[in-house]
Order: sequence, then structure tokens, then C-alpha cells
Amino acid sequence: MWSTFVTTLKTNLRNRSALFWLIVFPLALSTLFNGMLADLNEGYEIKAIPLAVVQDANWDKADGAKAFVDVLSGEKRSSSDSGDDAFAGAGGDRTRLLEAVDADTLDEARTALADGRAAGYLRVDGHGMLSLTLSPATASAIRGGAMSTAGDSNTAITVAAIDTMLNLYNRTDASVRDLIARRPQAAASREFWSSVGDVAGLTRETSLTNAKPNMTARYYYALLGMACLMAMGYSISAVTTAQANLSALGIRRTVAPLGRGRQLIAGFLASWLCSAASLTVALAYIRYVCGIPLGGREPAAVAAVAVASFTACALGTMIGAIPKLPHSVKMGLSSAIPCTLSLLSGLYGQFAMNLSDWITRHAPVLALVNPAQQVTNLFYDILYFDSYRPFAATCGILIAMSVLFLAAGVIMLKEQRYEHL
Amino acid sequence: MTTQNGTTAGPTPPAVKVDGLVKRYGDMIALDHFDLEVRRGEIFGLLGPNGSGKTTAINCILALLTYDSGAIRVFGEPMTPTSYALKRRIGIVPQNVAVFDELTVAENIDYFCSLYVPRKAERAPLVEEAIDFAGLGDFRKYRPRKLSGGLLRRLNIACGIAHRPDLIFFDEPTVAVDPQSRNAILEGIERLNRAGATVVYTSHYMEEVERICDRILIMDHGRHLALGTADELKAMIDTGERITIETLDLDDPALAAVRALPCVIEATYDGRELDIRCRRGEHNLVDLIGALRERGANIGHLTSRPPSLNDVFLELTGKALRD
Repeated sequence: MWSTFVTTLKTNLRNRSALFWLIVFPLALSTLFNGMLADLNEGYEIKAIPLAVVQDANWDKADGAKAFVDVLSGEKRSSSDSGDDAFAGAGGDRTRLLEAVDADTLDEARTALADGRAAGYLRVDGHGMLSLTLSPATASAIRGGAMSTAGDSNTAITVAAIDTMLNLYNRTDASVRDLIARRPQAAASREFWSSVGDVAGLTRETSLTNAKPNMTARYYYALLGMACLMAMGYSISAVTTAQANLSALGIRRTVAPLGRGRQLIAGFLASWLCSAASLTVALAYIRYVCGIPLGGREPAAVAAVAVASFTACALGTMIGAIPKLPHSVKMGLSSAIPCTLSLLSGLYGQFAMNLSDWITRHAPVLALVNPAQQVTNLFYDILYFDSYRPFAATCGILIAMSVLFLAAGVIMLKEQRYEHL
Repeated sequence: MTTQNGTTAGPTPPAVKVDGLVKRYGDMIALDHFDLEVRRGEIFGLLGPNGSGKTTAINCILALLTYDSGAIRVFGEPMTPTSYALKRRIGIVPQNVAVFDELTVAENIDYFCSLYVPRKAERAPLVEEAIDFAGLGDFRKYRPRKLSGGLLRRLNIACGIAHRPDLIFFDEPTVAVDPQSRNAILEGIERLNRAGATVVYTSHYMEEVERICDRILIMDHGRHLALGTADELKAMIDTGERITIETLDLDDPALAAVRALPCVIEATYDGRELDIRCRRGEHNLVDLIGALRERGANIGHLTSRPPSLNDVFLELTGKALRD
């Protein structure tokens, strides 16, 4: 049994075609993804947008608004003697949200929009309230999922952040004015202004997921799902070369005094080891060279690789055991099945990812029985969920699939003698 | 249904005993009450055209195929898929080369030997012996795809005999092999036999079977046609001599005169050669030449040879073995 295990390892590791599909192909595709999808994450980052600032009479009276815009544009405060500096302290190292384009009048600001020098303008109204007006082009680009480029995504996110900050400013400004109107002596109190400054500090950043979301990670996880299923070729070969009704090698091995069950188990274990090893190489490349996160749970990812490759080998055992199907056809299936299932798990770009999401929402059973989707989910669970429970559930689904595949394989392999060879 | 109640003859049972074996593939009968007895220490030839049932018979004996009725015993024991003690004593050289393309010559032999001899220390000298036996010493680190057809066949043989089996099945081991390698293979089989192995050799090449086999069973359509040594088989038929005469001007009356001779069983003429099957007799050639000269036919090259196994097959079945 040991020699069969070692021999299967050797034949697998010397099989150039398998090595290409299991090691070179995932690394090459990861590298390709790394280049192609680099700007996908950038599309979800805040990038400063040019906004015209209308510096009219209202603006001149609103010191707080000036300080606020300076902070958002990352500039040093222009006035240090104002009491309306509640937001100034928030400047420092904060992200720049806008690039201020000076405009003396509203018309000048509109001209800047028309020229394309600004994506919108900020102005202060007669009550000291700041408002943001976007150019039609900017509004159209960020509206209703029409975000066709990473730049549009950046603009949408940045505009949303500016809008939130404006609301915060306006609410705070209104509260301060109201309080001073009711208790004018408060304006002379240092504690009062300190407490106004604390408004921003009342906001706390929290994360809904275990790790920071990464838009490209899903593609790499889907790639791991495909590479994993490609590994079924190993166990297909292990079965066909041990079965007298499937190959000449099988005849020679069946005539030998080593029990067929032991030969099949040795072949399965060697195939599992090879597929897990090749998938671990792909995982390490994706994690450490492409920089795709695993939520700090790398050991769990290695366990995921072990479970996923076990399922792939079980599926390969079942396909390998199908009688009257030539080995070449079975090896063709070992490529065709992963390619097809990976389409449904989102490997081939945004369309496939949308299809995968649609299937998950509207045909969850189809997603449940798709091993490529479940392998993808394994890594997704690791990255996003706080608890290991979803990961364990996905492992359970894959193990249940494996049991079914192996049971079907054993039923087909149970014949000791054959009607035909 | 497998019948496992066969009887063994005498104190030392034969290497292989098959009684009334029937194997059907649907409506087609592949083995029709087939009988076989291979004595220990002999080279037993199973001769028949392609599709005659030779490989099916071997696969049934090796418990690879199911069969409808009959009994099979190997060394006196019923042969089943789990007869591991018996399997240890058997070697097989399948018709198709069965080796791993990814392993070297030495690794292939070592692996197949390991299925019979698990201990590496015990196995190593056997592997070396098999490499020497097959003349693969210079190719031990070669992968199979780099070997010629003849060397590949030798590797196929080495993988089947490395564990020193008592009974070896060679299923058409010389198909598509050049004459030099064929000779080496046949010599090797004779050496194995001299070393004590019983050999069952199937082929549709009558010259090979005639050369190395002690006894020969001729089969066709899954049936046992005749059994004996080559001489015994030849003695079973009427043909005693085969005469071929080169003549370019043989007319129909002359051919009719030849056919009318009492010694002639059959005479055919293709416009260039006259081929005559003659009965046993001392004056066949003289009678033939006399008849041809009498009709004015010119005689060119002339050959006379004793009957071959092909003649035996022809007479038994009405068709040539190579058809």
C-alpha cells in the first residue's frame, strides 16, 4: 500500500499537464487578476474631488464654514481666532475630501462646473448653512448604479462622505446658534466650545465584518474554487489506473495480490495530498504575493484547502469510477466541470459575479450543490464573518458532498469481476 | 454462474485446469464449453486468430471476467478475485503495454514487483534480475515514451516476471515487435521456463508457437479444436506436403490434370504460382512434375515443405489462420 501511495505521488508530481493546471494556471491567473482588478479596490477608496467654493458675502460671514472647508480640503486653518472652530481639530491627518476651487460668485462657480474644473460647488446661504450642488455630469455618473468606472465609484463615495460631513456641520452649527440665542453667556465659556468640539468625537468607527471588505478577494476565492476542482484529475487517474475494466494498468494491478481497496485508498490519499499541496501553493501566492487578505485566519484557510481538495478528490473518484467512459473523456470532464461551475461561482468577471449573486438569492439550492461555489464560500466565510460557524457549516456541506461522491464511486467500484474488459 | 467444484487429477494438480467454460457477451458466445489443462513446467501455446477467445479465456482464468458456467482451478485451487495466495504465484504480461509513463524503467519494475514483494530489501535483487533478464540495463532511467517498441515490450515483460512467478501468462507479447526483439522475447520465455516457470503463451503467430511451445491448443470461435505437440497436430491432418511451383503458362487442362492426381488434396493457381496441398506419400513431387510436363507446362522455381500449423488450422476450420 505504501509503495502504491509513493508511486501515485510520483506519477502525479511528474504529470506535466496536471502540474500546469494545478500550479502554473492558478498562479498565472492570479497574476493576471492582480493586474486587471487592481483598480477595483481603488474604486472604493475616497479620493478628493474638485469643488468650487463660492466666496461671496455669506461666505465671508461664516468663519466656521471656512474652517470646515479648509479641513475637508486638507489645508491649514485660515483663521485661528474664531470661536467657530469646532471642526478644525478634526483636520490633522484626516483624508482629503475635496480640492477647493475659488469662486467669487455663484456664476463663477457655475462656470467652473461648465468648464469641467469642478464637479460641484459649495456655498453658504443667508442662514450660514453650507450646501453642495453637483454638476449634471457628476450627478449622472454616480446615480443609480451607473458606475462604470473606478473613478465614478470614487466620486460617489467621496460625495457621500462630503454630504455626511455637511449634514454634521449644519446640524452642529444650528445647535450652536440656537444655544447661544437662548443662553448668550455660553459663548464666553471655554467648556461650551470644548463640548461643541466633542461632537465629532461622539462618532465611532465600527466594522461590520471580521476584516475590511476587499472587492477583488471574491475573484481570487473563485479562482481557488476552480483550481481545487481541477485537482480531481489526480483521483480520476488514480481510479482508472487501478481498475481492470478501465485500463491495461488496471488489469495488471488487479491481478496482483494487493487488495483493490487498499490500492484505491493509497491512490486517493496520494491524490488528496497532491491536490492539497498544489492548492496551498496557489493560496500562498494569492495571499502573500497578490496581497489578498484572509482576515488574519491563515491556518483556517489551510484547513479550508484540505477540505476543498478532499471534496475534489471524492468527485474525481466518482467520475473515475464511471464504467465504459474512456479515460480521455474523464480527463476532459475534469476541466469542463470546473470551468462550468466556476462560471456560476463568479470567476469570469462582473457578469459572472452578478450571476453568482443572483443564484445565491434566487436559486440557493443551485449554489448549495455547486462545489466551486462552496469552496469560494469557505474563504469568503473566513474573511468576513466574525464567527467560525459559517465556515464550519460550509465545511460540513463540502464533507457531505464528499460522502455522496465517494458512496457513488464505491457503488460503481464494488464489482470484483467484470462482464467486459 | 461460477462453479467452484472442479476436481483435480492426481496428487500434483496441473498448473491450470479449465472445464466446460462458457462465456457469453449478450447473444455472442465467446467461450463455448472450453476445456484446458496446462501441465506444470511446460510452455503451453494457445493458438487462434484474433477474436478466437484466447484473451477472454485468460481473463476468465485470472478472475477478471465473469463467466456463465464451467470451472477454473489454478494449482488445484479455485481462482477467485481474492485468491491472493494464488495471485502471488502468477505473473501476467498483458497484450497492451501496461506501465506508468511517468515512471522510469527501474521504477516501473520496482512498483509492480512491490505489489507481490512488499519488502524493499527482498525486492531489490529481483528488480535487478528482471532488468538484466529483459536487457534493459542501459535504459533503467529512461521513461517509457523514450523506448522503442521492442524495448517497451521487454519492459512490459519485466514488469510481469520480476517477482519470479510460478505461472506466467503471456498474451500476444510480440505484437508489433521487430524480428530482433521478437527473438529476444522468445529466448527469454524459454529461459524462464528452464528456470521452472510454467508458461501459457497466446499468439496468432504460428511460427512462434511452434518454436517455443511444448503443447499447443488450437482454438477458434471460443472452441477447443485440437491439442497436442506441433508434430502431433500436423499428424492429425491429411496434408503431408505443401508444394509450390512457379509456372507462367498453365492452362485449364493442365490444372485439371494436376487436381486429378491421387496425391493432390487441393491445387490453386494464381497465374504465376501453382500451390498444391498433397497427401502423405513418397512420390508426390515426381507425379506432379510428370503431369505438368505431359501437358507441356514450363516449370520454374519449385519448393516443397512439410505442413505448418497454418495448414492444420486451415484443414480444421476451412480458413487460414491469418485471415
